[in-house]
Amino acid sequence: MSDRLRAFYGQIIALAIALALGALIIVLIDESPINVFMTLVRGAFGDQSKIAGTLLQTTPILICGIAACIGLRGGMFNVGIEGQLFLGGFAAAWVGFALPLPAGLHVVVGMVAAVLAGAAWVAIPAYFRARYNTNEVVSTILSNYVAVLLTSYFTIFLFKRPGGWSETPPILPTAYLPELFSFSRLNWGLVIGLALALFVAWFFRQTAKGYSISMVGSAPKFAEYGGIDVKRQGFLVLLASGAVGGLAGGVETLGVHHRFMEGFAPGFGFDGLIAALLANGSPIVTIFTALFFGALRNGSLLLETDTSASREIITVIQALIILSVSAQVLMKRRGDSTAGERRWKF
Amino acid sequence: MEVLDKLLNVALLVATLRTTAPILLVALGGSFTTKAGIFNIGLEGQMLVGAFFAVLGSIWSGSALIGVACGIAAALVFALAFAVLVVSFRANEVVVGLALNILAGGMTISLMKAIFGTRGSIVGQKIVGLPKVQIPGARDLLGSWAPLISGYTPMVYVAFIAVPLLVLFYKRTRLGLYIRVVGEKPEAAEALGISITRVRYTASLLCGLLAGLAGAHLSLGYITMFTENMSSGRGFMAVAILIFSAGDPLKVLAGCLLFGFADAFSLRLQTFGFPSYLILAVPYLVALVALFALSYRSRPRIIRETLESMKKMLSVETKPAETGSNHPR
Amino acid sequence: MSDTSPAKTQETTSSAENAVELIDVTKRFGAFVANEAVNLRVKRGEIHAIIGENGAGKTTLMNILFGLLQPDEGRIVLNGKETVVTDPATAIDAGLGMVHQHFKLVPSLSVADNVFLGMEIRRNGLIDHAAQVEKTRELSERFGLKVEPQERVSLLSVGIEQRIEILKVLARGARTIILDEPTAVLTPQESRELFQTLRGFVADGMTVIFISHHLEEVMEVSDTVTVLRHGKHVATRPTAELSKDDLVRMMVGRDVSFDRRQRTKTSREVVLDVNNLWARDERRLPALRDASFTVRAGEIVGIAGVAGNGQTELAEVLAGLRPASHGSAMLKGRDLTALTPAAIRQAGLAHVPGDRMVRGVDGSASISSNLLMGRQFKAPWSRNGVLDWKGVAKQAVEMIKRFDIRARGPEDTVKRLSGGNIQKVVLAREFTNDADFLLIDQPTRGVDIGAQESIHDEIMRQRAAGRAVLVISVQLDELLTLADRILVMFNGRIMGEVEGDSADSERIGMMMAGLNANSAASEVAA
Repeated sequence: MSDRLRAFYGQIIALAIALALGALIIVLIDESPINVFMTLVRGAFGDQSKIAGTLLQTTPILICGIAACIGLRGGMFNVGIEGQLFLGGFAAAWVGFALPLPAGLHVVVGMVAAVLAGAAWVAIPAYFRARYNTNEVVSTILSNYVAVLLTSYFTIFLFKRPGGWSETPPILPTAYLPELFSFSRLNWGLVIGLALALFVAWFFRQTAKGYSISMVGSAPKFAEYGGIDVKRQGFLVLLASGAVGGLAGGVETLGVHHRFMEGFAPGFGFDGLIAALLANGSPIVTIFTALFFGALRNGSLLLETDTSASREIITVIQALIILSVSAQVLMKRRGDSTAGERRWKF
Repeated sequence: MEVLDKLLNVALLVATLRTTAPILLVALGGSFTTKAGIFNIGLEGQMLVGAFFAVLGSIWSGSALIGVACGIAAALVFALAFAVLVVSFRANEVVVGLALNILAGGMTISLMKAIFGTRGSIVGQKIVGLPKVQIPGARDLLGSWAPLISGYTPMVYVAFIAVPLLVLFYKRTRLGLYIRVVGEKPEAAEALGISITRVRYTASLLCGLLAGLAGAHLSLGYITMFTENMSSGRGFMAVAILIFSAGDPLKVLAGCLLFGFADAFSLRLQTFGFPSYLILAVPYLVALVALFALSYRSRPRIIRETLESMKKMLSVETKPAETGSNHPR
Repeated sequence: MSDTSPAKTQETTSSAENAVELIDVTKRFGAFVANEAVNLRVKRGEIHAIIGENGAGKTTLMNILFGLLQPDEGRIVLNGKETVVTDPATAIDAGLGMVHQHFKLVPSLSVADNVFLGMEIRRNGLIDHAAQVEKTRELSERFGLKVEPQERVSLLSVGIEQRIEILKVLARGARTIILDEPTAVLTPQESRELFQTLRGFVADGMTVIFISHHLEEVMEVSDTVTVLRHGKHVATRPTAELSKDDLVRMMVGRDVSFDRRQRTKTSREVVLDVNNLWARDERRLPALRDASFTVRAGEIVGIAGVAGNGQTELAEVLAGLRPASHGSAMLKGRDLTALTPAAIRQAGLAHVPGDRMVRGVDGSASISSNLLMGRQFKAPWSRNGVLDWKGVAKQAVEMIKRFDIRARGPEDTVKRLSGGNIQKVVLAREFTNDADFLLIDQPTRGVDIGAQESIHDEIMRQRAAGRAVLVISVQLDELLTLADRILVMFNGRIMGEVEGDSADSERIGMMMAGLNANSAASEVAA
């Protein structure tokens, strides 16, 4: 227990250091940190629609974060969630506008298409990682670029909306992910994300399969000795992670944009990865880190209009948080030689 | 015939060298960390801040050289942060590298907004780019082939000259040797009293130096402007090259030339009406294919495993021979 | 019990004659005493062998001499001068050189580069490879250590690698050379060449300290022998005065204290039947050669041998963690060499691995979680794939009690426990698997005496329950305590077999040292 408490305090200290550094940078660009902070808070939680907007931003970050958690728990760094999100988003949109189906079924088929597209997109890096130990970090990062360009190509050259900008035709209303409230585009995607977080947490904690995967992630030699097929699990973990990444894209196109647009969701994949890292691979904690990042993101929209700061300043803060949390590993190690070792190894 | 002529000519070779240079510089930088046994996914970010601060320095000082120095200094700060976290604090190198990349992206855009009040890109007369170097007598010597060696910005020459220098560095200098030893067999370095920490720091900073140069070249040489995320994955492609070249300068050069050629050739194809989006994807696809195709070579264990299983199949026949000698080699 | 009490009977030679003197050196690691008031006097110009079993404290002593470890008590006198050896650099300055058991060469560099690594010859700031090659050749010719200075080390054999290590030491001006188990990795031929070289060194006025547990070699090459046992100095004698039997007696000790467990003889069905089993090590060299043996139900078979003689490979092949290159291992009629680790467990194996912290547990996980490994898909631990953590924890509490694991509770993190308690976690998991065959590699390595007792009790209980047990241990006492039969491995081969009841530690010691006990081969064949 005291271990956890200490880790928690460590996390808080790291957060404080990161925010202090962030404040310093804000001062350097000639803004008041307090002003920026207040604007962020107002932008994120100022009124009902702002809160809904925050939750709307939280949704894809949460789902991408869960995708990252799955990978991290199984010892895999899926940095390609961004690409899986794009392909999933496109696949769902294609089902939405090209495949007329009855209401209800249409949404489901669209989601399934998104999931399959995400999994398919990561399949090759996953295979090479499992079979030949090819570095999955590099292969998934590079495939992000290809995914973004490929979906842009689909959108602009093959399925462009006549007369439209770089976007596909709108999806049929039968494929809409229903909205939760009348005043916001906030939709069932958030519920899907929360349910998924709970399910994945339950899966890793309570099922034999989840236990096996966690063991592959934290002690692969032990897992091998215990009779777990380490390579196969690694492959499946990346596939599952990619599938969830694709789902995030499906939720975005079917729930929010109702079409696929070029560059429709920039950075959600990376935000999700950071949220998962900050949560140390726990899907439940990811709900909160994703909410935090969602608030930052939504608040930053107001930043752009109300202050001279750019909304990318939040990216800086996010990166600083991760850096200070990663450095914290050693601060802990000095006191207790082994305590920090497993962090980031998951 | 005419099509081929249009596709393959001196201009294509020149374009290849031009597109090779930035990735070559950053990959050679990564060669230091790779050889020292550090997986440096942060190259992308170092290159990006290098590009941004080079433009900034160039505008402020009115001198391209000072701009380059600023770019290098910024990349060195990032490299130092990387080394502190990874070498001293033993943080996960992938996490730190990715976070520094994200930091670089957010920071450059924020600063651009704060300083220039714009989004997207910095262009304009105020940026002093690097001049093109005309080699005297090149035209007399090579005629129409002269553009092959003359008329590039200085960093192109630096990049290509760096290759033999690095070969020499690893072969003939003590530091180069120690970097290799630390990466390949740290316990040997330790036994001989070579400080692993100091060598890894040095390697990280040398890497930052070249990554900064690469960035400066991108924004002051390759083109004279800065745009959001203008390194556009070159740092990651460099990492892919480093994985299958194991940081060896000549192999790095070969890999980078392949990318440069793919890049130049695909741009050429664009004039034939191929969809630009697919063409832009070509370098990344080349990187991926090369990574997958060559991955088994960078991991000798896999060859060993394969040989092992082959041997296992064959060993039934060869068994008696083994019984005979005590220590077959 | 040796007939020489070292402190008294040893002639007190004048210090200047000695290249190395260690006086009353004591080294403790926690409660464990690795060296206890050890005295060692090595005369200049001799080959001085230090022998003893695994864990006798030979390597610790040499690491102290070379400055890699600091003694808790005692003095070091080098060439007549008392020296505080704070680090290897001091030792090197004093003319000492050490060739470690595990080579520290850089594979991608040339021989000459390796020899001069850390003291490169430079001209105009650049490394002068030609000069290094020249100097290496000179050294190589002068000392008769044949190497090709320009070759890459990765292409060379172990024997040549060792020559390079020796050249490294010579290039640094060493006059006293310490070799830690130099022949362990060599072929007989390579060993003979090495001995010739060492003879050349002493003829040149240099001194050689030679650590070994290979009796024949020691007899062949050394001038003087020092025997260590359990961290204590037993004797130092001129080799010529000793026979192999004397050495074995001194090494193993007549008064081997073990408390052989009582048992009733059983003769039940064969559970494990190993036939002509071969396997390779990481360098793809045969590490297990033609092993054949059986283990019956209700029987403990022990595998004795000095570490690194193929026992690890044997265990890994039986557990499915290493491919066999030839042969079969039938567990109740199923060939283990064709099965995955999971299938082998299914077929009835429980395995206590030798490298406990890597293979045996996930140190960062809880005791409950560690106890679950391997049965997470089985009832009652899980139903329809859903784990019953409550049940798992309840069982963990029971096991903690039954195996006397000292922990705060089932949720305690394993790496917080002591070595002995971690081992008990592994045993608790594996012994409650209802497996017919127990493979136990180093049951009590790094475990304190009290825990050793209880682990041995538990193994005997498993025997009584009709399990077939294979115990691999580098501690002979342990096998003499437990085993019904003892097989001795040397250089990947099973050298012979002895009955546990009539076990004769001298004969086992002979076989462990590679001497072919006369009847050994025929017994195995039978």
